[in-house]
Amino acid sequence: MIAEKVATSCRVVERSNAGPIPPRMGALVAMVVMALMACSPQGTGDLVVWNTMRPEGRAILDSLLTEFGAACGVRCSQIYYEPEELRSNYQIASLGGSGPDLVYGPGDQVGPFSEMELVATLESLLPPQFLEGFTPEGLVWRKGHLYQISDQIGNHLHLVYNRALVPEPPQDTDTMIEIARRLTRDEDGDGRMDYYGLAWNFEEPFFFVPFLGGFGGWVMDEAARPTLDTPATVDAFQFMYDLKFTHRVLPPESDYDTADALFKEGRAAMIINGPWSWASYLNKGIDMGLALIPKVNATGLWATPMVSTLGYSVNVNLRGPRLQLVLQLLQYLTSDDAQRAYARTMRTIPSRPAVLEDPVLAADALIGMSAAQAKVGRPMPVDPELRAVWDALRPNYQSVLNGTKSPAQAARDSQADALKAIAEMNQ
Amino acid sequence: MTREQRIAYAFAFPALAILGLVVLFPFGYNVVISLSNMGMKHFWNWRITGFQQYWSVFSEGIFYSTLAKTLIWTAINVFFHVVIGVSLALLLNRPLPGRAVIRTLLVLPWAVPQYITALTWRGMFHYEYGAVNLVLDRVFGLQGVAWLSQPVSTFAACLITNIWLGFPFMMIVALGGLQSIPAELYEAAVVDGASRWQRLWRITIPLLRPVLVPAISLGVIWTFNNFNVIWLVSNGGRPSDQVHILVSYVYRAAFNLYRFGYAAALSMVIFGILLLFSIRFIKGTKGTEAVY
Repeated sequence: MIAEKVATSCRVVERSNAGPIPPRMGALVAMVVMALMACSPQGTGDLVVWNTMRPEGRAILDSLLTEFGAACGVRCSQIYYEPEELRSNYQIASLGGSGPDLVYGPGDQVGPFSEMELVATLESLLPPQFLEGFTPEGLVWRKGHLYQISDQIGNHLHLVYNRALVPEPPQDTDTMIEIARRLTRDEDGDGRMDYYGLAWNFEEPFFFVPFLGGFGGWVMDEAARPTLDTPATVDAFQFMYDLKFTHRVLPPESDYDTADALFKEGRAAMIINGPWSWASYLNKGIDMGLALIPKVNATGLWATPMVSTLGYSVNVNLRGPRLQLVLQLLQYLTSDDAQRAYARTMRTIPSRPAVLEDPVLAADALIGMSAAQAKVGRPMPVDPELRAVWDALRPNYQSVLNGTKSPAQAARDSQADALKAIAEMNQ
Repeated sequence: MTREQRIAYAFAFPALAILGLVVLFPFGYNVVISLSNMGMKHFWNWRITGFQQYWSVFSEGIFYSTLAKTLIWTAINVFFHVVIGVSLALLLNRPLPGRAVIRTLLVLPWAVPQYITALTWRGMFHYEYGAVNLVLDRVFGLQGVAWLSQPVSTFAACLITNIWLGFPFMMIVALGGLQSIPAELYEAAVVDGASRWQRLWRITIPLLRPVLVPAISLGVIWTFNNFNVIWLVSNGGRPSDQVHILVSYVYRAAFNLYRFGYAAALSMVIFGILLLFSIRFIKGTKGTEAVY
């Protein structure tokens, strides 16, 4: 009975990842035997996946884990963390020799994790035919080693709009401001705005980066040196400041959940958000549209969100049969079938091109627009120095948006803080 | 060593062994890390670099500004904990209808896990959906405050949360102290013509000292090191990374900025500050000496 389940599970993995089953009987037997060995639950215990997925993604992950667990006779579970919390907790846990078997998150977490040798190098652990099924950007390499296998490409921001309030999305920033001003209003006359034209997360500089690119700047150069004290950064900060304090089209206080809630309630006409959020908007019955984040009138450049992967890395502490079982799980979670399930529900861009041949996905307008946005975006660096850039940008971005720092000062401080943080990292 | 002493040591051994494992070993390990260059680039291959990290702690301005915030945080919190706690204890120490119910209700903030209270208060300070702004608007007709968007108002929000959390402890301690003061002292004072104010300052406060001094001392140490409230209400020191006390900055230095050696050194400095404070405070106030 167990052998049947195991064989079924591993056939699922092989079918999804390696194309047709080899015709030769010997090869088939060898694969089944290897799979049986890999799926042996002896000494393996529960498998745990830490992740940063939104609820809709976690529901799919749950079903995949249940399916794999039933096939292999092990219990699989998942734990959700906010991205920063996941990073901190994983560092502590893996340093102590424990932690989850798989850790899921954006591609940039590979930088610090690989630098601290907390995740396994995967290039020699996974079959070449499995890796060949991914687009090049779907596999996250650093310094010649493979550290992350993605289940989607993108993780990038878009302009999401409520069609009931915004029939035609803006193509440039001037139009965006004009629409947002028209839709921001205090309906009950109590001095507080009840509806906002635009909302996004004021806490994370990831949401600032598209406009930084639109003004011609970027976070770091090819040599991973921060490039934040530039006219482009000042202009982008000034643009943020003007949206909030001059045009007054943004909420006074807005973290991720606030912006998300305002959009879901129909109190924000447009939001800058990523693919992880779409399923929840559609489930909420919002007639949402997706558009490129507008072109910046001052430069004529499109806003450039960071494009990265979301994927799994393997805990460096794993050994023996448990490692083999986790590698099977990794292949299963990034298989064609798994990616198809995510793409159909969450409209994500799969990292295995074969999945995009699915007619439903190929015809999906949201996925099409997401791919178009990815084209004008820029790849997210995986250097650990990016951590220093985020940590330097975050307080300065927040200071501009709470009016306690001028854009020029914020740009200067961002650069100085990033350089200091990198120097401290390298001590 | 006598047989009795050996038996006593044998009984104490399990507790000492556990204490050594969970307190002394981590403490010693922290001392070693504080003398090393452990960081992102030297996570496994760190080496001893002497007092370099301590030098970094004292030479960076962030230490002094954060220390100042920590002192303000501690002083305001402990002041209100004591004033509110002792006032409520005085109120509850006299006949009052429904006293048991009131006392239970007042202890509730202390009974709820700290992180739940902190996250609840964070939600209550939310500009759009929080209860605080709803009350300001609907009850008092005042405009809402964007509590969590400015460093000062976020710090104030953290203070309000921690005052709410901390006063029940002082109230319980003070109530216990009040109930142990002999009633004859008050009766004699009344016979001698002492006013209510004089009875408070000449009898109640001096006789509360033996219980309040250790409680205040503990309160200072707990508040100085109160990571949960400041971190959870401000969501990690936000906005602008300006809402930190020393202990939250240690966490940030270690787990956000990867400065493990520096964070260990800073935590040793915090330990030193609190050790000095405790010794001086207890000696200065003669809090452990008998009153009678």
